[in-house]
Amino acid sequence: MRAFNAELSKLFSLPGIWLAFLIGAFAPAIIATLDSMAEKEDIIAGASTRLSEVGYIGLGLGVQGIIILGVLAVSSEYLTESSESGGGNQITTSLTVISSRFHFLLAKAGAVTVISVFLSIVAIITTVSATNLILGEYAPAFEASKLIGAVCYWTFTALLAFGITILTKSGIIPLAVLMINSSVVTVSYLLTKVTKLAFYLPDMAGLDMFMFTSDRFHTPFTGGLIMFAWVAVLFIVAAIVFHRRDVAS
Amino acid sequence: MLTINNLVKHRGTQEILSGISFTARPGRVTGFLGPNGAGKSSTLRILLGLDRATSGSALIDGKPFAELHNPLATVGAALDGFGAHRMRTGRAHLRWIARAAGLSRSRVEEVLEIVGLTHAAGKRVGNYSLGMGRRLGMAAALLGDPKILVLDEPVNGLDPEGIRWIRTFLRERATSGKTVLLSSHLMGELAETVDDVVIIHHGKVVADGTLEEVISNHSTLEEAFFALTSESAGGVV
Amino acid sequence: MSVSSSRKITQILDAELDKLVTLPVIWLTLISTFIINLALTIAFTSAALQWGAGTQSILKTGLASMGYLQAGFIILGILATCSEYTGGQIRTTLTTIPWRGVQLFTKHMALAIMTIPVAFIIAASGVLYAFMMMRDTAVAIEIDKLIKTLVGVTGYLTLTTILSAAIGAFLRRTTSALMVLLSYYFVVSPLVRDFLPSSKNYFPDTAGSSMYMLPSSDEINVLTPMQGTGVLLLWTLLFIIVAIAFYRKRDA
Repeated sequence: MRAFNAELSKLFSLPGIWLAFLIGAFAPAIIATLDSMAEKEDIIAGASTRLSEVGYIGLGLGVQGIIILGVLAVSSEYLTESSESGGGNQITTSLTVISSRFHFLLAKAGAVTVISVFLSIVAIITTVSATNLILGEYAPAFEASKLIGAVCYWTFTALLAFGITILTKSGIIPLAVLMINSSVVTVSYLLTKVTKLAFYLPDMAGLDMFMFTSDRFHTPFTGGLIMFAWVAVLFIVAAIVFHRRDVAS
Repeated sequence: MLTINNLVKHRGTQEILSGISFTARPGRVTGFLGPNGAGKSSTLRILLGLDRATSGSALIDGKPFAELHNPLATVGAALDGFGAHRMRTGRAHLRWIARAAGLSRSRVEEVLEIVGLTHAAGKRVGNYSLGMGRRLGMAAALLGDPKILVLDEPVNGLDPEGIRWIRTFLRERATSGKTVLLSSHLMGELAETVDDVVIIHHGKVVADGTLEEVISNHSTLEEAFFALTSESAGGVV
Repeated sequence: MSVSSSRKITQILDAELDKLVTLPVIWLTLISTFIINLALTIAFTSAALQWGAGTQSILKTGLASMGYLQAGFIILGILATCSEYTGGQIRTTLTTIPWRGVQLFTKHMALAIMTIPVAFIIAASGVLYAFMMMRDTAVAIEIDKLIKTLVGVTGYLTLTTILSAAIGAFLRRTTSALMVLLSYYFVVSPLVRDFLPSSKNYFPDTAGSSMYMLPSSDEINVLTPMQGTGVLLLWTLLFIIVAIAFYRKRDA
């Protein structure tokens, strides 16, 4: 528990985390607002085909903030870009404070999970209120099951980012891969055009938890399960690698 | 000849240097002392054109660093830390510096030899020990065979052999008419190396003179240092 | 004086090139960009072959991965400038080359010199693959159009790299620069394009894309390639100037 508190305070003292918060908590609302305004006429006329998606698009993109959170949580331990540091790896300090590496990882993952859940709830509240504000009575009903799906999607994504960064130790690769892949047209989506197997990629499966589009492949529950399986496998691999690796290398 | 003239530096609302003046003369080793946070590194950084002074000047042979025609051949500097990208090899690091100053590749091998780093020149800087990093910094400082050396904590992290090497090396440089300015807080070590001493405390010069003058009626340099900097004992770690 | 200062610039340029070439991360980025781009092109090509054999343009398919490919060059640009701040190398740089404006500008030049051939090779490799796979089915390819497009792509990627480098120099932290640039290129920009189609001509990436975009039937390309180049070039110069202005003023 103390380790968990330490990890939380470490996260909150990172300046980059505030960008993650900003993107995570408000970008979805802004996107939902813009999207609602663009769709408003169609929706009122009853001609919109995208009514069920309004709002959720923002939640799908706001996940960028959560990616930053997951990546920073790990990469900050290794970052050495201060001009005065002759190799200031915080990880060395962290592991002398908490000697069990497994506990260290668990505490960190716990902190990331708690913040992601919190952030996704904030994002949902802002998004739902923005949509309601603009569309008024025409606003789509937000079903609880979908919203839970969105929370799960955000949390799992944060943990995926976290796990990948443990393996790479640098934030560059996970940031690039995950941020590009959660952009408007994702690589995974394109791959689904090539092979059906791509539907089993974590983000495609995870999106099925709350994005009910016509080309949906999984039920929300199996989608969530597949994404969770990815997270679990990645975590086991990351834990093993992290356990065996020399800190300095 | 290094001339620091009434140097003031503010960072935010904090006053880091409040009017520092001293000179480092050719043919002498000048020791620059002070507790942690006294402003030693800030002074050296301003001298090397890395930081900007709020007011005052730090001149090298009468010119600010950025106006030197050939900086590497005028001033050799080794500041705290490695000063090199972790993923580059030591040799590659020295080579790009040499290239920027128009020096030959054989000069790189020469300085590697001088600082005793030839065997590790092909290793990535990230794998260097603290002492090897200091040696790499010294090698970079010596590349241009400069008239002036500015060294921040040069013996920090060096093994006994390295410390002795630095001591004799710096003495030789001074004897051959070159200027050496080094900061340190290892009193015993410094007392054996320097001719002149400047002590700063809270951004102000509290003592400036030859080693004998600064020690004056204290028994050692260390005694003198504590007598001069301890009026606010406990305030500085 | 002028002779010696021009020699000095060459020396600095050499040193900056040396820095880039001896940094393993740079090579890693370039090689993975090449491989990933080729893999994506293979995916796009097979998708194109499955659906509309015979109607697909080789150029379009070969360059379909551009949106992702630019990410590799954004990373390249950021790494080139932010690597100065790893291990305090910036202090060595500035004590060796204290003329800050010249130094940073030369760094961008060195980066451009390195990027141009690489961007060309990577873009051409994608088109070449698409050509080999589709030459039997697709419409014939005109050689002058091909060269024009490849030159456009190379120019676009190079300018994007330089622009990213300038932003990297301004922000000084790899992660921050990466977050800012990737979220602009992959989230903000596509959204702005959807919601405010008219702004398309003014942003560096959308305007720049007209450097290589083929005039297509479904949308009107308002900018000519030259105009697109101009807009992107202006943005790039603006960021370089801002980066240099800050670089000269602040404490290293």
